[in-house]
Amino acid sequence: MLDSVFNIDCGYLEGLCRGFKNGILKQTDYLNLVQCETLDDLKLHLQSTDYGNFLANEASPLQVSVIDDKLRDKLVTEFQHMRNHAVEPLGTFLDYITYGYMIDNIVLLITGALHQRPISELMPKCHPLGTFEQIEAINVASTSSELYNAVLVDTPLADFFGECVSEQDLDELNIEIIRNTLYKAYLESFYNYCKSLGGTTAEVMCEILAFEADRRAFIITLNSFGTELTNEDRKKLYPQCGKLYPDGLAALARADDPENVKQVAEFYTEYRALFEGAGNNPGEKTLEDKFFEHEVKLNVNAFLHQFHFGVFYAYLKLKEQECRNIVWIAECIAQKHRAKIDNYIPIL
Amino acid sequence: MGSIFRSEEMTLCQLFLSSEAAYNCVSELGEIGLVQFRDLNPDVNAFQRKFVHEVRRCDEMERKLRYLETEMKKDNVPILDNGENPEAPQPREMIDLEATFEKLENEMKEVNSNAETLKKNSLELMELKHVLLTTQLFFDERDSEPGTSITQNLLPAEEGKGPVQLGFAAGVTLRERMPMFERMLWRVCRGNVFVRRADIQQPLEDPITGEEVFKTVFIIFFQGEQLKTKVKKICEGCRATMYPCPEAGAERKEMAQGVKGRLDDLSTVLSQTTDHRRRVLAAAAKHLRTWFIKVRKIKAIYHTLNMLNLDVTNKCLIAECWIPTSDLGVIRDALRKGTERSGSSVEPILNRMQTQLKPPTFHRTNKFTSGFQNLIDAYGVATYREVNPALYTTTTFPFLFAVMFGDAGHGVLMLAFAAWMVIREKALIAAKMSGEIWNIFFGGRYIILLMSCFSIYTGIIYNDVFSKSFNIFGSAWRINSNATVENLEHWEELTLDPANREEYSGKPYPFGFDPMWQIAVNKIAFQNSYKMKISIIIGVIHMIFGVVVSLYNHTFFRNYISLVFEFIPQMIFLIGMFGWLCIMVFIKWIMYGAGPEFGEERSSFCAPSVLITFINMVLLKKEKEDPTTPCKVFMFEGQYILQLVLLVLCIICVPLMLFPKPLILKSLHNSKKRHHEQQAIAQNGELGGEATTSGHGEEEEEFEFSEVFIEQAIHTIEFVLGSVSHTASYLRLWALSLAHAQLSEVLWNMVMKIGLSQSFYTGSIMLYLIFAAWAALTISILVLMEGLSAFLHTLRLHWVEFQSKFYKGEGYAFTPLTFKHIVSGDEDDA
Repeated sequence: MLDSVFNIDCGYLEGLCRGFKNGILKQTDYLNLVQCETLDDLKLHLQSTDYGNFLANEASPLQVSVIDDKLRDKLVTEFQHMRNHAVEPLGTFLDYITYGYMIDNIVLLITGALHQRPISELMPKCHPLGTFEQIEAINVASTSSELYNAVLVDTPLADFFGECVSEQDLDELNIEIIRNTLYKAYLESFYNYCKSLGGTTAEVMCEILAFEADRRAFIITLNSFGTELTNEDRKKLYPQCGKLYPDGLAALARADDPENVKQVAEFYTEYRALFEGAGNNPGEKTLEDKFFEHEVKLNVNAFLHQFHFGVFYAYLKLKEQECRNIVWIAECIAQKHRAKIDNYIPIL
Repeated sequence: MGSIFRSEEMTLCQLFLSSEAAYNCVSELGEIGLVQFRDLNPDVNAFQRKFVHEVRRCDEMERKLRYLETEMKKDNVPILDNGENPEAPQPREMIDLEATFEKLENEMKEVNSNAETLKKNSLELMELKHVLLTTQLFFDERDSEPGTSITQNLLPAEEGKGPVQLGFAAGVTLRERMPMFERMLWRVCRGNVFVRRADIQQPLEDPITGEEVFKTVFIIFFQGEQLKTKVKKICEGCRATMYPCPEAGAERKEMAQGVKGRLDDLSTVLSQTTDHRRRVLAAAAKHLRTWFIKVRKIKAIYHTLNMLNLDVTNKCLIAECWIPTSDLGVIRDALRKGTERSGSSVEPILNRMQTQLKPPTFHRTNKFTSGFQNLIDAYGVATYREVNPALYTTTTFPFLFAVMFGDAGHGVLMLAFAAWMVIREKALIAAKMSGEIWNIFFGGRYIILLMSCFSIYTGIIYNDVFSKSFNIFGSAWRINSNATVENLEHWEELTLDPANREEYSGKPYPFGFDPMWQIAVNKIAFQNSYKMKISIIIGVIHMIFGVVVSLYNHTFFRNYISLVFEFIPQMIFLIGMFGWLCIMVFIKWIMYGAGPEFGEERSSFCAPSVLITFINMVLLKKEKEDPTTPCKVFMFEGQYILQLVLLVLCIICVPLMLFPKPLILKSLHNSKKRHHEQQAIAQNGELGGEATTSGHGEEEEEFEFSEVFIEQAIHTIEFVLGSVSHTASYLRLWALSLAHAQLSEVLWNMVMKIGLSQSFYTGSIMLYLIFAAWAALTISILVLMEGLSAFLHTLRLHWVEFQSKFYKGEGYAFTPLTFKHIVSGDEDDA
């Protein structure tokens, strides 16, 4: 897209998004937050930030879950506002972002249904960005083909479902495979869509999505050790749009223990750094946190370019990270477990 | 001197409040609203301050009140607003308030949850009623067609199995979910179910959100147990509620009867609940506003207390605050009152402090001046004790506006609007109209009032009323006394020549323009010449006045260097160049003219161009006399020499503005430094190693010569070039006034004239319509848009051309602790 005409359709929303981004908590805010003694202190401090009075109508004493819900509500409201004002192709782009949440919701509901939990109890746990009309009818399905034919065929996820239609009954492993296959198809489709948009959007988004794909590949591999998942099946789950594709993925498919995974990462400068500093010992950061940190960095970098859609994605992800941080700090305060309170991931 | 001329004198005071009296004292101070507290713990987190607990309790109370308020708004219970101003309650009363709110909230919640369950029940019953009704209809339809029973097999029954019984389920779902529901049924059951639907016509109330929703009754026929479970699951998934529906007609009827009875019972209970709810809310609504004010006052007081320092002994709180010096007495009284109320025996101590801190700027305004003060503050809050341009703006602003907006008719329209706002002031304030645009107009009502009065005045001078003129005193022109239709046609080309004494009586129209000009071809040429000159004269006077005001600043701040090396050269420069230009205009007006009373040398033909003369003066060009005409280049003897002297004076002024001031400042600084050093040496000699602390807080400002010099250079260049460009800038007075007059003339000629020049009686109807168009355009374009544009240009002339001569605007506004906005109900409290 031509940069010079970008502002005709998306200038307002980009400005809005950048404005929202400026409201993201700074390091000084976090330093204040970790000093809080109670959740009410936390509320008081958040009042002086861009969050404003979002907790003002909640009765004391506060629950962490209430904070979590309110944080999410605020983010969702902002996102919905942008989605409602978006025109094509930004509309499709924003819709694409929500598909990821749909996948998570579906998996959550199916798993819940497997454990005989009523849908009404599960619904509040679903991410509001990933709801769709038919979602509550999901427990009609007992096999994946039924799931597809009855529920998903009308949703945007139908395109991603092609590979996992089978007559097998749904069980834990199956669901996990469905989730990852869906996610793989989703990521690849999103990646190609961004590429087709071209320009700065492609430049920024492909970088972020490639990292997302590689992170999934690493995590799938690490989590598969010690399960019944065969190497061959595992290979089918790797999203093929990252930097690991094709050599790295092939090597990952052969990996048998975490050491092998690390060796694969050695060949890629950015991933080597992540694996090197990671560990589970106290004082060290977990690999997951390292990945999150890298993601934050990529997302912050997205704001250095102008006239592209990446800012919307990056904003959502940064804000999500911020919500996770606040909830983490809130949990630490609520459980009087201050030793690990500093393990949040600051957003630069 | 009132503080409209200069901002109020402020003192920094230290206030020692005993801890028991602090609350009441601060409360009293908040009521008078004249004290600005300084935050003495800026590095302490909001949640680590002393009274954070109380602030939080207030937040909690506010939350409860807000909850009650939303409930009241839901039920449209009017909230009583009698404008009373309750005092901030004592801290011990807080517990009572808390208990009251707690009780109310709980009661409300209970009533609400009761109402919700009742409503839910009634909704279910309603739905059931509809289900029964529609199924009844449906089955009736079936029974009326004997032989084609829906439960009858289409295929002949297989041997030994008997007829297959079809099961059915009935329920209700949201209308918009219906298509999705049907589609899913079709997919999951592979077309093996039969669905009938009927929309419920009247909307039902959702028990949780209270919104009205439309629903649809459906009935599904299926065969077999497996399909039954599937159908059930889908119904669940689509949030459809299923209702038991007996198959036999008699049972259905019986059930419908039962449902009806239960519904009646329920509705009586429900109405009682709503009545109770309304009663509770109405009782609370009487006090809600006072409660809000009380809670907010407590909160504001504790916020302020959080800014204070705690004494080491914990016995007293120390505050630092800015106070208008003239109000010290009032504040002492308030403190005494506060102490009495708290019953403390320790008098609070108020100490005046010496300080180097820059005090805040406080202008006492009333409803008339506040509008003008806002215009000035929008540019920048005045430096402490600087001359406040708002005082002069009260007259110059409407005047300059009126020069551009000179039309008595439009002025009257504006006056009507402004007068309405001013007369109905109290009622309008009480009505608390929201809307940003309205608030802007209402806030500036006095500005608009003055602007409209001045517009009427200039409109009469321009003799412009909706682009037409009044002939009040009788025109001085008499054109072709034997007027015929042909003559009138010919008048289109009418040119007025004052030299022609057959047409012009020689005695000018007593006030303003002669109405005859309105129809003359050379009207524009005549008016332009006049308006251009007038704009320059007004502009130069305005600017010279600005420089004179700077004299007051220099003398007040004892800045004698600036007085001698800025004010005097500036004055000479401005008067020598542009003042002279204006004087030339007057000379030309007086000495030259058309008609027999002026000689050949002084005829309008010989009148020199002021502009060319002025340009030649600066370029040192001396034009040759033309021997063929009797005209002279100069207006009087010795004009050339005078101009030369003025020019030389002006040129000398430029280095005078540029060099001396920074040089003097430098030498002053150097001598001061030397003096300090000598003192220090002397002290060291006397007292040994004791360090000097004499200049406490007197931080020596870094003196950087280059910086000062560059600043001075910029100021000089700005002034010299600025005086040229600013003078030219005042020409906008002419330009806008011309544009306004032309626009209204065009509107009259293109619109109104069409209606007026109809010769048939149908024209009267047309005129009726055309007048509407003309009136709408007049108000929207000429009054609103043109008024806004003239307003903005006036604002610019004040901000840039006038205030640049003396106004620094580097201060910060005085923001005292005050309960005013709490009482008036503005939301944006601290």
